[in-house]
Amino acid sequence: MGKVVRCAERTSAPWRVGVLFSRTGFMSVIEETQLRGTLIAIDEINDRGGVHGRPIEPVIYDPGSDARSYGQYAKRLMVEDGVSTIFGCYTSSSRKAVLPVVERLDGLLWYPTLYEGFEFSPNVIYTGATPNQNSVQLCRALMQQFGTRFFFIGSDYIYPRESNRVMRDLVRSNGGTVVGEQYLRLEADRSEFVPLLREIKRAQPDVIFSTVVGESTTFLYQAYHDLGLNPKTVPIASLTTTEAEIREMGHDVGEGHYTAAAYFQCVENERNSDFVARYHKRYGDDEPTNMCLESSYFQVNVFAKSLEATNSLDTRCLRSWVMGAEFDAPQGCVSINPVWGHADVWTRIGRANRNGQFDIVFQSAASVKSDPYLMGQGRALELC
Amino acid sequence: MATGRDGEEATSFMAMSGYAYERAGGPHPAEPRTTVSERPVRQGAVEPELNIAVMVERDDHGEFLIRELQRQRVTVRHIWPLPSQIPLQYDAIFCALSADLPQRIPWVPGEPSSALILVDDGKAPLNLKLIHNCAAHGLLHYPASSRVIQSVLMLAREHFQYERRLRGRIEKLDENLRTMRVVERAKVLLMRLKNLTEDEAYNFLRKQAMEKRVTIAAVATAVIDSHDLLS
Repeated sequence: MGKVVRCAERTSAPWRVGVLFSRTGFMSVIEETQLRGTLIAIDEINDRGGVHGRPIEPVIYDPGSDARSYGQYAKRLMVEDGVSTIFGCYTSSSRKAVLPVVERLDGLLWYPTLYEGFEFSPNVIYTGATPNQNSVQLCRALMQQFGTRFFFIGSDYIYPRESNRVMRDLVRSNGGTVVGEQYLRLEADRSEFVPLLREIKRAQPDVIFSTVVGESTTFLYQAYHDLGLNPKTVPIASLTTTEAEIREMGHDVGEGHYTAAAYFQCVENERNSDFVARYHKRYGDDEPTNMCLESSYFQVNVFAKSLEATNSLDTRCLRSWVMGAEFDAPQGCVSINPVWGHADVWTRIGRANRNGQFDIVFQSAASVKSDPYLMGQGRALELC
Repeated sequence: MATGRDGEEATSFMAMSGYAYERAGGPHPAEPRTTVSERPVRQGAVEPELNIAVMVERDDHGEFLIRELQRQRVTVRHIWPLPSQIPLQYDAIFCALSADLPQRIPWVPGEPSSALILVDDGKAPLNLKLIHNCAAHGLLHYPASSRVIQSVLMLAREHFQYERRLRGRIEKLDENLRTMRVVERAKVLLMRLKNLTEDEAYNFLRKQAMEKRVTIAAVATAVIDSHDLLS
């Protein structure tokens, strides 16, 4: 009993881990894929014989897209199910609900989603991109190709507002202007997007920068499409629209719009072709992979590799092994940066094509060092 | 770097409530059932006007606990049997330790609404995991002496408030880190437009913030926004 560090247990009992993704509610489209990424990784590890002969056993709850439920389920996982490692969360609100629980009870949350940065916790491993790994390059590319007038549109919660704070800074420091900024509630329905898109049309921006997430992503792009706007002149650029959302909105609707991400299904390397082939075999050929699914997948593998070394789920033991760990992920080689416990991931910019896939128009030469507090960006966030 | 700090108002609980018991120092009436050695010169006292819930069985031990707390001039409310959800409105809660207690605690660990003191009657085998899961601020073991009751209450309250102050400080630091850039940018603008030094630019922002009673980040944002608007 208690917090005793046991680094050599001899048993065949499974390693129990918690999994918190919403399969219901307005976040279910993307979180369902994160759940799949997590489970595929677990199954593959178990098929290889588990870790030290012990299988990984997920304890899964569906928080139903309600941020408060994430906190309650995290408590349940740690208190009733005796779990200390949790994979989960898409929105920043859900991560912030889980944070006090894992911090107080000394658990480890693995968070596989891009977010706004400016956070550090000794009880979280962040494996999605932060602004220096997506926004900076995206802003540069958009300004070069389309112009300097940006219209910001986002869902009304922490991530869009915080990530726009960074983007606004980037745009302004480089001679651009933000001609409008609007937020719609997370559960916004189709009808709310039409007047907004009319307003955008009147403002005549060069780029629409979107941090709309969840179900309403579909409504945004469809309203854009219905109003006859042209992505060749005024594209929507996003950090959150993946292959999964493009599939929901329709390939023709998504075509021509931009997304910055660490991973796209079309990334060309052997590791990724294997990964995509296995995914298609399991879920069907028309089910695309995406960045959130990929980070959910690789973070379980980083966890398993570390567990192999520690042979213990003790948070301190495990975390110290995770720091600096590398993994050959479908996006390319990634590592967990020991300074911040965030992953060094790749930067890519893709333009959606007619097949619901992205054509990569920019790609970093290697993984980009994580800098969640933007310390390396200088005082004015100038693009060099 | 002091950027962004000075303009902020000391709003929160952090400055308000933490040190009540220190202020209330001084002699206190002696009491029965304390040993001779405990009786003389006691420093400090339990915070006055505390609202305390006691959720234990009203046996001899429970009666003694309630009486001792009442003698500390705090408001004591006895609740038994244990409710399925522990009420939120108390400053401190003494609560009998039971296997399902974590499920009866309405807050998530790390965000407590009250100082929580577990009461262990010593009948069940020691379960450290359970105590860990309750994420409490103190533990009282029967039989309890007056001395132990007072100390555990004070320590639990201190611990609870200290955690809260730290959380508040982290929130402030996070916010400052996010807004630091805005302040830096506004400073650069002012230096250029009004031909100020860096210190002068910062003092300008700080002065505005104090006069308008807003944060320095808010002033900085306004400076940048109006410049954008005019240029």
